[in-house]
Amino acid sequence: MSMKIGHAPYKERVQEGVENDFMRQAVASAQGRFRDGRQKQADELGNWEDWRQLGSEIRTHTLENIDYYLQMLSDNVSKRGGKVFFAQTAEEANEYVQNVIKKKNAKKVVKSKSMVTEEIGLNEALQEAGADVVESDLGEWILQLDEDPPSHIVTPALHKNKEQIRETFAQKRGYDKSDSPEELALFAREQLRQDFLSADVGITGCNFAVAESGAITFVTNEGNARMVTSLPDTQISVMGMERLVPTWEELDVLTSLLTRAAVGQKLTSYVTSITGTRLEGETDGPEEYHLVIVDNGRSKILGTEFQEALHCIRCAACINVCPVYRQVGGHAYGSIYPGPIGAVLSPLLGGYEEHKELPYASSLCGACNEVCPVKIPLHEQLIRHRQIIVEEKGMAPKAEKLAMKGFAAWASSPAAYKMSAAAARTALKPWSKDENITNGPGPLKGWTESRDFPAPAKQSFRSWFKERQKGGVAK
Amino acid sequence: MTIQNRDSFLDNLAANLGRNRRTEGVKRPKWSVQPQYEVFTGLSQDELVEKLEEHCKVIHTEFKRTDRDGLHKVLKETIDGFEGKSVVSASDERLQQYGLNDFYKSLGEKGTEIHLWDESKGEENKVFAERADVGITFSDITLAESGTVTLFNNKYNGRSISLLPKTYIAIIPKSTIVPRMTQATKLIHERNLEGQDVSSCVSFVTGPSNSADIEMNLIVGVHGPIKATYIVVDDEIN
Amino acid sequence: MKVSLFITCLCDIMSSNVGKDTVEILERVGCEVDFPELQTCCGQPAYNSGYLQESKKAMKQMMKAFKDSEYVVGPSGSCVGMLREYPEVFKGDPEWEEEAKKLANKSYEITQFLVDVLGIVDVGSTFKGKVTYHPSCHMTRILGIKEQPIELLKNVQGVDFVELPIKEDCCGFGGTFAVKNSVISGEMVEEKSRHVTETEAEYLVGGDMGCLLNIGGKMQREGKNVKVAHITEILNHQS
Repeated sequence: MSMKIGHAPYKERVQEGVENDFMRQAVASAQGRFRDGRQKQADELGNWEDWRQLGSEIRTHTLENIDYYLQMLSDNVSKRGGKVFFAQTAEEANEYVQNVIKKKNAKKVVKSKSMVTEEIGLNEALQEAGADVVESDLGEWILQLDEDPPSHIVTPALHKNKEQIRETFAQKRGYDKSDSPEELALFAREQLRQDFLSADVGITGCNFAVAESGAITFVTNEGNARMVTSLPDTQISVMGMERLVPTWEELDVLTSLLTRAAVGQKLTSYVTSITGTRLEGETDGPEEYHLVIVDNGRSKILGTEFQEALHCIRCAACINVCPVYRQVGGHAYGSIYPGPIGAVLSPLLGGYEEHKELPYASSLCGACNEVCPVKIPLHEQLIRHRQIIVEEKGMAPKAEKLAMKGFAAWASSPAAYKMSAAAARTALKPWSKDENITNGPGPLKGWTESRDFPAPAKQSFRSWFKERQKGGVAK
Repeated sequence: MTIQNRDSFLDNLAANLGRNRRTEGVKRPKWSVQPQYEVFTGLSQDELVEKLEEHCKVIHTEFKRTDRDGLHKVLKETIDGFEGKSVVSASDERLQQYGLNDFYKSLGEKGTEIHLWDESKGEENKVFAERADVGITFSDITLAESGTVTLFNNKYNGRSISLLPKTYIAIIPKSTIVPRMTQATKLIHERNLEGQDVSSCVSFVTGPSNSADIEMNLIVGVHGPIKATYIVVDDEIN
Repeated sequence: MKVSLFITCLCDIMSSNVGKDTVEILERVGCEVDFPELQTCCGQPAYNSGYLQESKKAMKQMMKAFKDSEYVVGPSGSCVGMLREYPEVFKGDPEWEEEAKKLANKSYEITQFLVDVLGIVDVGSTFKGKVTYHPSCHMTRILGIKEQPIELLKNVQGVDFVELPIKEDCCGFGGTFAVKNSVISGEMVEEKSRHVTETEAEYLVGGDMGCLLNIGGKMQREGKNVKVAHITEILNHQS
C-alpha cells in the first residue's frame, strides 16, 4: 500500500461512500463520541485555548529549526547505541529496512500502528524481502487480514462492523466464537501474543521523538507498541521527519493535546518512550535499534505557505468534526490521509494530479480550524490549494473558468449586476413552477437532483428600495 | 556508520527554509502561555491522592489506600482477588524498604510462584512474565490528573512486568504523586541537562490496556494487562 | 446612527423580503438606513473556488460602494465574514490594503450589530410558533457570532425555542460546493433536514439565506411541513 488507495475515480469513490449505510452510521456514531470526548476534556481544562496556543508555538519553533533538532536527535539516538538512517524517499526507507531484515535473516516482523509506514508502503517491501509481517494494532490487524486500507488515522477499521470482523477472523484464522467485541478482542490477544513472542524484528512508527535525549515516544491504548518494543531483539522505528519535539517538556504538552484531541483521554493507557538499545543488565527491549527518519516529500512543504500542515500531530480531531467525512467515510478520499488534513496533505505529498479533487471535498465550514489542537489553518489552506489548482496548475474545468470570468465582469459592473437582478426571474422562468425549480439547468442540475431551488423574488431588493425612497411602496 | 545520509538530508531542509544549516545556538523561545503548570496547583499531597482516586474510576482501575503496616495485607488481598498463582515483581531497593522480600518469601512458601526480576536470569524473566497472573512494580512518579504510573524501566524493573501478565498492581508511595505529566517530564528534562542518561524505557502506564477498534466499543484488556489495581501507600515523606 | 445596508446578492435577487425586514428593524431601533447602489457581490463564490483574481474585482467594487459608509450591516454571516477577510486578501497591496481594513472594521452582521454595537437584545417583535435555529458555519466560526441571534430570538414574544440536534454541522450549502460536490452536499442537507424534523419545530430559522435555501429546498422536496425563515423575518414580525 502507499498513500494513494484504490484506483476508482473520485466521483465513484464518493458514490460508494454515500451508499455504504453501515459505514456512515458507524462514522456518525464514532464522530459523536470523539467530539464529546474532546469537548469534555477541553471544558474540563478551562483554558484549552491557551493549550492550543502553546501547542502551536511549539510546533512553529520546532519546524523552523527542524534541521537543528533532527541533528540533535540523531546524535542522541546514536549515543545510546541506535543506528539512524535519513531517508529522502520512500524507496530509500524501504530499502534500508529490507536490508536490516535480510541481515537478521528475519522471518517474522511485528508492527505497531504507523501511518508513515502505510504511506511508504513498507509492508509490501518487507514481504518482498521474504518476511512475514503482522500488524498488531487490533484495527490494523483486522484490515490486514481482510486486505483493506485504513479509513481513519486513529481508528483505522472504523468502517467495519463486528459481524464483518467475525467473518474475517473465521475465514482467515478459523475463529468460531461470537461477534461480541470482547470475544473478538480476546481472540486477537491470543493470536497476536504468539506473534509478539516469536517475532525476530519489531517495527513501530513514532508519535514524538524527543531531540534532547533521543527518546522515541509511542502513544497507544492496546499496549501493542510496548510489546513490539519490549520483546523482539531487533527494533526499527520509522518516523516522519516532522514528528519531533525539542525536549521532554514539550513532549508533555503535545502528548496532552494529542490524547485529548484524538480520543478524549487525559493520557492513553500507554505512553512509552524508548531510547536506543537496552542497557547493560536489562533483559527486555531491543539489543539492536534503528531509527529511520523519512522525508518523502515533506521537505518540499518547508518554507512554503503550507508549512503549518507539517505541524499536524495526527490526532484526527479535524476528521472527527468534518461533515463531509461524515457522509463519505475515509476511503472516498483515495488517500490514507482522509478528512481536512488529508485534503491538505495529500496533494502536497502525493501531487495535485492524483489528489486534485480533495481540496474541493469541503464545504469550507471551518469546523476543522476550530478543533485543531495545534491551530493549523486548514480552512485557509484548502482555499489556497484551490487557488493553486486554478491559477497555477490550470486544472480547473473550462466551463468553470468561463463562469468565473463572467462572475468577475458581473460583480465589478453595477450596471450589469442591476440588469441581471431584474432579469433573473424571467431567465429562470422556463424551469420554475409554483415559485420552485425542481429540475434546474447547468450548474443548478446537481442541486435540484436532491432538492428544490426557489424562483428568484418577484422584485429585487434594490428596485423595492428605490421605489420606497420615492415614497411609492410600503411593505 | 551509525548515522547515515544526515548532511545531505539536513542541508536540503535548511535550503528549503531559505537559510544556512543551524547546528548550534538554537534556544527554545519563551512560550506566551504555560497552562500546564496551572493544573492542580497548590493542592496538598492528600488532595492529590483524592484526585488520583477519582480518576481511577475513569480508567477502569481499582484504587486502594493503606500505610506501610497494611501494605502486605492489601497486596495479598489484591493478588488473591486476581486469582494470582504466579507473580512477577520488580526487584529494586524498595522491596527491602517495604519488607516485600519477606512477604514474597512467605507467599512462595504457601504455594504461589514468585519471580523477582533478575538480570542474571536473562530470557527467563520474560518467559515467566509472559505466563504470570500478576505483575507488580512500584511507581516512580505518579500523575494524579491522568491516573498514571511512571516507570523508569531498568535491570531491576523490566518492561515486561507491567505488560505481559494478565493483571497489574502498582504500588504507589504517596510521596511519588505529582499533579500531572508536566512534573515528571520536567524532572527528566532537568536530569538530562545534568548529564544523567534517561532510562532506556520510560513507561507512562494508565490503567489496564484497552481498545475501541471494534465499532467504538470500549474493550478493557487487549495486549497488555486486563485488570489493574493501584495501591497508594502513605509513606513517611510528607 | 447612519447605517448602510449590505444586501448581499443572494437576498437582493432571491429573497428581497430579507432586505426589507432588515431595513425596517434598523429603522425601528433608530438607525438611518441608506442603500449604496454600487454594491454587487462580496466575491465569495469566486474566492472560495480558488479564483482569486476574479474575486478581487468584486471585492474592489464593494470597497468603492461602501467607501463613505459609517457602518455596513448585512443579513448574512457568511457574506459579512467575507468582507472581514478582505484585509488578508489585500495584504501588501498598497492601493487597497487600507480600504480593505476600513471596510472590514465597519462591517457587521445584523444580529451582531444589534447586540454588540447597539446593545439591543429585544427588538420588540412578536412571533407565535415553535422555532429551531441553525447556526450557519461562517457566522459562527468566521465571525464568532454564537449567542447574539439566540438571545434576540428568545426575546421575541411568543417564540417557543427548541435546540437543533448536532446544530454545529454544516448543512451542505458551501456556495459552489453544493454545485461541484452536489452528491455530498445532498447527503449533508438530508441529515440536516432530518435533525430539523426531530425537533418538531414549525420554523427553521437561520441567519444566512444560502443555508436556508438549501435546507428549505430539501424539506420542500421531501414534502415536509416546516417553513424556513431568515432571522430578520422573525425579528420584524408583529402580532
